[in-house]
Amino acid sequence: MAVDESDRNYEHPLYSMPGLSVAATSVDKLLTWGATNSLWVFAMATSCCGIELMATAASRVDADRMGTIIRGTPRQCDVMVVAGTITVKMAPRVLKLWEQMPEPKWCIAMGSCAISGDFYRDIYSVIPGIDTAIPVDVYIPGCPPNPEQLMAGLIRLQEKVRAVRGGEWAPKDERPETEAMQKTAPSIPRLLSAERSPDVTLAQLLGAGNLGLGGALNRAADAPPLAAPQETSDAITTQAPTETSEGAVESPSEDEHADA
Amino acid sequence: MSASSAARPSSAAPASAARLGVDPHRDLSDYDPEADLMVLNMGPQHPSTHGVFRLKLHLDGETIVRAVPYVGYLHRGVEKLLEELTFVQATPIVDKNDYVSPMTNEQAINMAFEALLGIEVPRRARYMRTLFAEMQRIASHLLWLSTFGIDMGGALGGGTTLFMHCFREREWILDLFELVTGARFHYNTHTIGGNRHDIPAGWAKQVHTTLDLIASRIDEYLELSTTNSIFVARTRGVGILPKELALELGITGPILRASGVDHDLRRDAPFHAYDEIEVKVQTEPDGDCLSRALVRVREMKESIRLSKLLVDGIPEGPICGARPIKNPTQFKAKEGQAYVALETPRGELGTYVIGGGKNKAASPYRLKIRPPSLHALSALPYLLPGHSISDTVVILGSLDPIMGEADR
Repeated sequence: MAVDESDRNYEHPLYSMPGLSVAATSVDKLLTWGATNSLWVFAMATSCCGIELMATAASRVDADRMGTIIRGTPRQCDVMVVAGTITVKMAPRVLKLWEQMPEPKWCIAMGSCAISGDFYRDIYSVIPGIDTAIPVDVYIPGCPPNPEQLMAGLIRLQEKVRAVRGGEWAPKDERPETEAMQKTAPSIPRLLSAERSPDVTLAQLLGAGNLGLGGALNRAADAPPLAAPQETSDAITTQAPTETSEGAVESPSEDEHADA
Repeated sequence: MSASSAARPSSAAPASAARLGVDPHRDLSDYDPEADLMVLNMGPQHPSTHGVFRLKLHLDGETIVRAVPYVGYLHRGVEKLLEELTFVQATPIVDKNDYVSPMTNEQAINMAFEALLGIEVPRRARYMRTLFAEMQRIASHLLWLSTFGIDMGGALGGGTTLFMHCFREREWILDLFELVTGARFHYNTHTIGGNRHDIPAGWAKQVHTTLDLIASRIDEYLELSTTNSIFVARTRGVGILPKELALELGITGPILRASGVDHDLRRDAPFHAYDEIEVKVQTEPDGDCLSRALVRVREMKESIRLSKLLVDGIPEGPICGARPIKNPTQFKAKEGQAYVALETPRGELGTYVIGGGKNKAASPYRLKIRPPSLHALSALPYLLPGHSISDTVVILGSLDPIMGEADR
């Protein structure tokens, strides 16, 4: 369902005063910068997608690095992430919490249940998508979406916030999703990733820091050289099922996380 | 890391022993009108309720006089939905019931259907199912430990420290599952008669590396929790569940074992490969929050031991005993019924299924799921009265409820 945003107005009346426009534009740029980089999330986590929402905030994907933290109260938050099935009993509560959030506010529908109800759509107790109750800005498909996909959705929302505050419509997403996913690749590479060799030993895993930051999984500078990752990991990845979407995720280059 | 760290901290007499025997149906009309009695709603949206769960708390000052739980905010009509679908289509639906341990849900429903249809599971598939269940238990308990750390207000080092550490380990287990099934969770890897995905080459080695790493970390968490005075003060003697009450309410799993009942379906009614390996059941006598925490942490260590045994012992052979699925109505059930119970990370998950016979052969005539979380939540009206309001999240967190399973 398309959301009618024609009545959203972010221009302050003071902006029309003569001589103020230059200063106001600078201030507005600053405010936009602040607003896009501190999207605090209100976790409307009802079911499975809530676990992936937690994983997004946790150590591997780490949503903190783009200023996104999860808060427990609607009054401090900018974005409501609806993660999970919304039932008829729960929908009035979601609406009430949405109304308690201060403007400007945004909504992300995470997962197929929040988008359309998925296979619970025809069940008597489930509403067919959260956009029948509140307006949705970004839809993230998946059951559940990976944490990287949620991060890509948050980046997409930042683009939308920037565009809307500039008085424009958010551009249509022409890029393949891999490009957005590359930006959000986790700092600890997955086992599927070519960055991570299956021959990594326990000593190497524990080498760089024990209760530390997980930086050991990235190759530390003083770690002994590993076997060439390409041959060894091929044996794994070729036998993994082809429908995996994580194959598209590429890890950042070594320079980016060598300091972890 | 020493062996003594696994021991329970020496305990004085539980402080709340006098609070036992509370009446959950207490009539508050005879309560002292001068008292500062107040009704507080907790939930259904509350970060510490582990989902959408509502508690109505009657408070006298900060002390809870009476607690009334309300469920049903995530009722998705799963049982009715499964009656509409065929046997083959059921597996991905039940994944979403207990979304913290989907592997055991898939097992339960497929075991029930196999019992109804009379299909044998090959030995390799049985080993793989057992291995997946044990690894899922580690992941599930890690998630419990991480959220318990948040519930305690970051008692183990402040803020979300424990949450960050436990999720890091959990991701490694999900990575291993991802290599096999292609999904982080909601795997859809079990099917009627066996498994859908075989183990890739080199997987066993990665399992060993990962589990060695997690084992050393769990030792650390155990020592952190049992030597941390804040953790012990907030859990010891809090939320005592006596053995008789636990049995009466039908509570199973780690909560029952923490109340001193030596009961584990993996050992007492072995299914899959559990009859070929020995499970050391972890129990604690006291039944408070600390006991429940210790039982779960020790179960993680036991699961690591079992997983390593199982991954080395996987026999060769086929992974599915039934014909490959060509169409959804392939399996036809005669009239009859089957009940299968198995031990999930949360307790006894029962699945009762009736086959419809000639008129409704390809789908269950009636299906009933017995969730362990619902029974665990039924203990709350007995556990909460007498405690202060800050103990509520600790007691609720120690029960480890999953609302997707309780509401179905």
